[in-house]
Amino acid sequence: MGKKELKVAFLLALRSLQRGSRSSAILTVLIVAMCFTNMIFLPALFNGIGQSITQQVVDYEVGNVLVSPKSGDQYVSDVPATLDLINGMPGVERATAHFSKGATLKYRERVLGATVRAISPNDEKLVSPLYTKMVAGTYLGDGDTGEVIIGKPVAGDASIRQEDEFQPSLGGVRVGDSITIDYGNGYVKDYRVKGIYFTGWSQADSAVYITSTDMALVDPKSVDNADDITVKAKPGYSESFIKDELVQYGVTAKVQTTADLLSKSMGRALQSFAIINMVSLIVSIIITTVVLFIVITIKTLNSRRQIGILKAIGVDKEVIMHNYGFQVIILAVLGIVLGIILTSLLAVYMSFHPIVTPEWSATLYLTPLDLVTNSLILFGAAIVAGYVPAYQVSREDIQTAMRA
Amino acid sequence: MIQIQDLHKVYRMGNVEVRALDGVTLDIEKGEFLGIMGASGSGKTTLLHMLGLLDTPSAGKIIVDDLDVLTLTDFEKTMFRLYKLGYVFQDYALVPDLTVMENVALPAMLRKDREENQIIDDSHTILKKIGLFDRKDHLPRELSGGQQQRVSIARAIVNKPDILFADEPCANLDSENSKMVLDLFREINEEMRQTIVMVSHEDWHKGYFHRIIRLGDGKVLSDGRA
Repeated sequence: MGKKELKVAFLLALRSLQRGSRSSAILTVLIVAMCFTNMIFLPALFNGIGQSITQQVVDYEVGNVLVSPKSGDQYVSDVPATLDLINGMPGVERATAHFSKGATLKYRERVLGATVRAISPNDEKLVSPLYTKMVAGTYLGDGDTGEVIIGKPVAGDASIRQEDEFQPSLGGVRVGDSITIDYGNGYVKDYRVKGIYFTGWSQADSAVYITSTDMALVDPKSVDNADDITVKAKPGYSESFIKDELVQYGVTAKVQTTADLLSKSMGRALQSFAIINMVSLIVSIIITTVVLFIVITIKTLNSRRQIGILKAIGVDKEVIMHNYGFQVIILAVLGIVLGIILTSLLAVYMSFHPIVTPEWSATLYLTPLDLVTNSLILFGAAIVAGYVPAYQVSREDIQTAMRA
Repeated sequence: MIQIQDLHKVYRMGNVEVRALDGVTLDIEKGEFLGIMGASGSGKTTLLHMLGLLDTPSAGKIIVDDLDVLTLTDFEKTMFRLYKLGYVFQDYALVPDLTVMENVALPAMLRKDREENQIIDDSHTILKKIGLFDRKDHLPRELSGGQQQRVSIARAIVNKPDILFADEPCANLDSENSKMVLDLFREINEEMRQTIVMVSHEDWHKGYFHRIIRLGDGKVLSDGRA
C-alpha cells in the first residue's frame, strides 16, 4: 500500500461519512463516547474514593508514617526522646504523639461515649490539617487547659430530636458551652468547648480533642507514653525512605507507612474495585466492538455493488478495505475525543459536587495515563471491529459483489 | 490487439449446466469500435466481463497485446484494469458520495505515474469535452441519467485506457441521451483511436459500430462490418 492508495482510501472514507447518513455517523460517535465514558467513569470514581480515603487516613489518622506499639506493648514508650529523635531526621516535617482514652461525654440530658485524643496542638498543625477544618470557634493552643474541640457530629444539632438522629450526639453543643467528660478512671472534668470542626472523615469527626497538658492530669502515663506517633514527610521524601530511616535511627516501636497500613485494611476493597473496573471495561469494549462491527457490516453489505464497481475500475481490494477501516478510525477518534470531553466535564462537575457519604467524600480521579490507556484500548477494539467486515467484503469476487 | 481463443464459460445451477459462452474465438483490432449484439441471454455481457477481467472463463485464452491476461494474479489483474481498461456500466455505477470531479479523477488518483496537477488538468479537460465542467462539484444524484452516463464515460477514459468496455450504456437512457452518449463514443474512437467494445441490443446503434459480433447461445453467430 502506497501513499496514493491510502490517500484514495481516506478520501472515500471521509466522503462517505460527510455525505452518507449523518444520523448514523453521529449515533455511532455518541455510542463510542458513552462507552468510553463508561469505561473510565467507574475506575476513576473508585480511584477517587481510594485517593480520598488515603488522603483522609494520612491527614487524620496516620500521617505518612505511623509509629505504633510493638506487639505485646500497650504504648509507644519514651515519647519525648523518640519525638526529638524523629524530628531531627532529614526528610521529617514533624512528628507528633497521640494519647487516647475512652470517655463518656455529658451535656445537659445527653450522654455519649467517645474517644478523647490528646494532642500537642502546634505540632499537630504541622502533621494534620485538622486546624483548617474548624466550622465554629477556634483550634486548641498548646497552653490550653479545660478546653476541648469536638467534631460536628458529636456536637449535634439542637433542631433534631434525639430519636430522629442518624448518629447519637450531644444534641446541639455550641462554642462556649461546657461539657463534662468522665474518663472512667474516676477522673471527671468540665471542659469549655473552644471549637467545633468537621473533616468529612468519620473517625476524626466522632472524636474530641484536648491538649496533652490536660491529658497529663487525666492519666500521668501520657507524659511518657503514646498510643501512636504520626510522622509527616517533607515534600520530595517518600514514605518508605522515612520508614527505613526511622528503623536505621533505632526507633524500636513498630514503623509502618500509609501504604503498608492501607494494603492490609483496604486490600480486599481494592481487589473488589479492580474486579468491578475490569467487568466495566470488558462490557464497554464488547459494546463498542459490536456496535462498530454492525455499523461497518451494514455499510459494506449496502455497498457491495459499489465495491464490485470500484474493483472493476481498478481500485485494489486493500484500498477498499482501508476505506472502511478509515471510517471506523474517524468514528472511533471522534467518539473518544467526545468521551474525553464528557469525562473531563464530569470530573470538573464532581470536583465541585463530590460524592459525600458519612464515611468519606470522593471526586473523579483521572490521570492522563488513564485517558491514554483507555483511548488506546477502545481504538484497538474499534479497528478490529471495523477491519474484520471490511476485510471480508473486500475479498469478495467482483461478479458476486456486482450482482448484490 | 485482443485475441480470444475458444472461450468457454459454464455456470452450474444445481444439477443444470448453463453454457453462457461456448467456444468463442475472435480478434479485436486496435482502434476498432466493436459492437456485441444478440438477444437477451446470448452471452454478450458474459463475454464483456471475461474480456474486462471481471470474471474468469471456464476454458480458453484471452491475449491482450501478446499477454495472456488469464495467467495474471489477482493484484496484476487489478492493475491491468486500472492502467489498460476502462468500463462504462449500464447503470452508470458512479460513487454516490463523490462529486462529479472526484468520480472522474478517482482512477487517475491511483496511478503511480500521475501527479496531482496532471490529474486535475486531465479531469477538467474531459469534463469540458463531455460538457459537464460546470457541474463538476455536483453529486451524481443531482444529475440526469444522461449526464451521469457521460460522467461514467469520463471516468472510464481519464486514464486513457487501451480498451474501453461499455455494457449497454444506453439501456437506461431515452433516445436523445442515448444518441448523445453514442456520439461521444464515436468522437472518442475517432479522435483518440480508442478501441471500444460495446454490448448493445438496440438495432439503431449498429450505425455507430465498425464491426458487429452477433452472439446466440454463447456462440458467435456472425462477425462482420456494420
